[in-house]
Amino acid sequence: MIQAKGLTRRFGDLIAVDGLDLSIQRGEVFGFLGPNGAGKTTTVRMLASLIAPSGGSATVAGHELGREDRAIRSRVGVLTETPGLYKRLSAKDNLLFFARLYAVESPEKQVEKYLKMLELWDRRDSLAGSFSKGMRQKLALARALLHEPDVLFLDEPTAALDPEAAKTVRELIGSLRTNDRTIFLCTHNLDEADRLCDRIALFKSKLLTEGDPQSLKESMYGRRTVVHLANSKPGIEDELRLPFVTKTEWIDGRLLVSLSDPITENPVLVRRLVELGADVQFVSELKVSLEDLYLDLMEGNHGSA
Amino acid sequence: MARLKVLLLKEWRESLRNKMVLFGVIFLPIVMVGASIFMLTTGEAESDPVARIALFNMSLLYFMVLPVVIPLAIAVYSIVGEKEQTTLEPLLATPVTDTELFLGKALASAIPAILVNWISFGVFLLTTRFLVGGFLMQTLTLPWLTSIFGVSPLLAMFSVGVTMIVSSRASDARAAYQFSSLAVLPGLIPMIVYSAMKTLVDLRLVLLEGGLLLLGCFIVLRIAIRLFRREQILTRWK
Ligand SMILES: Nc1ncnc2c1ncn2[C@@H]1O[C@H](COP(=O)(O)OP(=O)(O)OP(=O)(O)O)[C@@H](O)[C@H]1O
Ligand SMILES: [Mg+2]
Repeated sequence: MIQAKGLTRRFGDLIAVDGLDLSIQRGEVFGFLGPNGAGKTTTVRMLASLIAPSGGSATVAGHELGREDRAIRSRVGVLTETPGLYKRLSAKDNLLFFARLYAVESPEKQVEKYLKMLELWDRRDSLAGSFSKGMRQKLALARALLHEPDVLFLDEPTAALDPEAAKTVRELIGSLRTNDRTIFLCTHNLDEADRLCDRIALFKSKLLTEGDPQSLKESMYGRRTVVHLANSKPGIEDELRLPFVTKTEWIDGRLLVSLSDPITENPVLVRRLVELGADVQFVSELKVSLEDLYLDLMEGNHGSA
Repeated sequence: MARLKVLLLKEWRESLRNKMVLFGVIFLPIVMVGASIFMLTTGEAESDPVARIALFNMSLLYFMVLPVVIPLAIAVYSIVGEKEQTTLEPLLATPVTDTELFLGKALASAIPAILVNWISFGVFLLTTRFLVGGFLMQTLTLPWLTSIFGVSPLLAMFSVGVTMIVSSRASDARAAYQFSSLAVLPGLIPMIVYSAMKTLVDLRLVLLEGGLLLLGCFIVLRIAIRLFRREQILTRWK
């Protein structure tokens, strides 16, 4: 659905997006993560053919960027950073206007469908200016969906919302996943990306890394097992002598063991610890949050780019 | 061009709900036309046909001023309003072309300006015809008719172009309004020339005005068209 090769955008001397390669499949929910100023919005604007790249090429929804821009625009939906609604028009009139610009076949029906889906139907005649932030975001989301786009770009959909509204919108996005709609989600919310996305990319002008959330974390840290011992026995780690253990360390009286396959290796590890006289209380897997990964990458500890 | 119609209808729907715009489009013409009718039907002019004809002649000048001032409010709000509401980006994400967008904005203010001007003119003629008398109509010479029906649409287009340029640079409606008001002043030169000529407006002068305005429109609209490209709007506008 989205293929980009060496996509680049300069603003004067500043290189906002630098040689971005992407390949995103139909039906995929793709998380695009990066700090403020990383170039996320710039990337979305290029892929939605709102601004021209300074270099590189891309095809979006089967159309070539720069040559079939109108076709691209009619096949993608964009939820922009700010909802951008006409305050003096009603919710329904806001949507009807866009439905007609997208030349939707039966505008009234489409508008009704999405107002109902986003639970705004009862407020259809209220002015958009009277809506709360959460409702505005929902209305903007409805607008991005009206023409049933193949690709939906969401630029930080929950950034300006309170936790409750953010949760609602997040659940909505989760429910938008279908087999033939590709979702490109820009966010700084790592938890959101972790929960919603099939694949995520960490990005800061350049692509730092990409993969599905789980294997990304594993590839960064390997698998780790945490063992709680009743009596911490310093020095026990040196006596383990197990070939699959790549690293051990003590954290807060707990033994942290890095290995590659916990399913088969954990039992061996526990047996060995018991042999060595340790009183094992709990054995669990160390959860690495995407946040740890993100911060590490952004601080350049693993900077591969 | 179906999209152009959609754009225009939306502009007008929004304008109808904006008091500032309504003031410029409806209140201003009412005041101007009302004031001239009032002057023509009262006071010292009442008994003196010559004075009345002179006054009538003066009043016709308003129909060279209205096309310059009516588009200001519509154009300012239709552009700065989009900026303030951050609606430009979603709008530009649709398949609308740059030309459609430009025409939508330009015609949204030019059409009402021209129509309201002509309607005001009609109302003014009818009212004075019945309240004062048919003899006034002799003042409506070919140069005047050419001005009101030929030159005033150009005045409106000039004003629209200037206001679009100013509005694309401004982030605040009030500032845009004030600055545009200054910038359209050259459009009022015809009025100043006419009033200096009193009743002796001749066709050559009118055609000269028209020619100069055509050139002005061409330059101003060319600049405006360049400013109204997606890329420009999203990366250069303030
Ligand atoms: N029109 C512009 N002119 C000049 N520089 C720009 C322009 N638009 C963006 N930039 C610069 O490009 C870089 C990337 O900006 P962009 O808005 O794409 O980042 P972002 O990842 O969306 O950030 P945020 O999380 O804050 O939304 C920034 O350094 C920004 O200052
Ligand atoms: Mg952004």
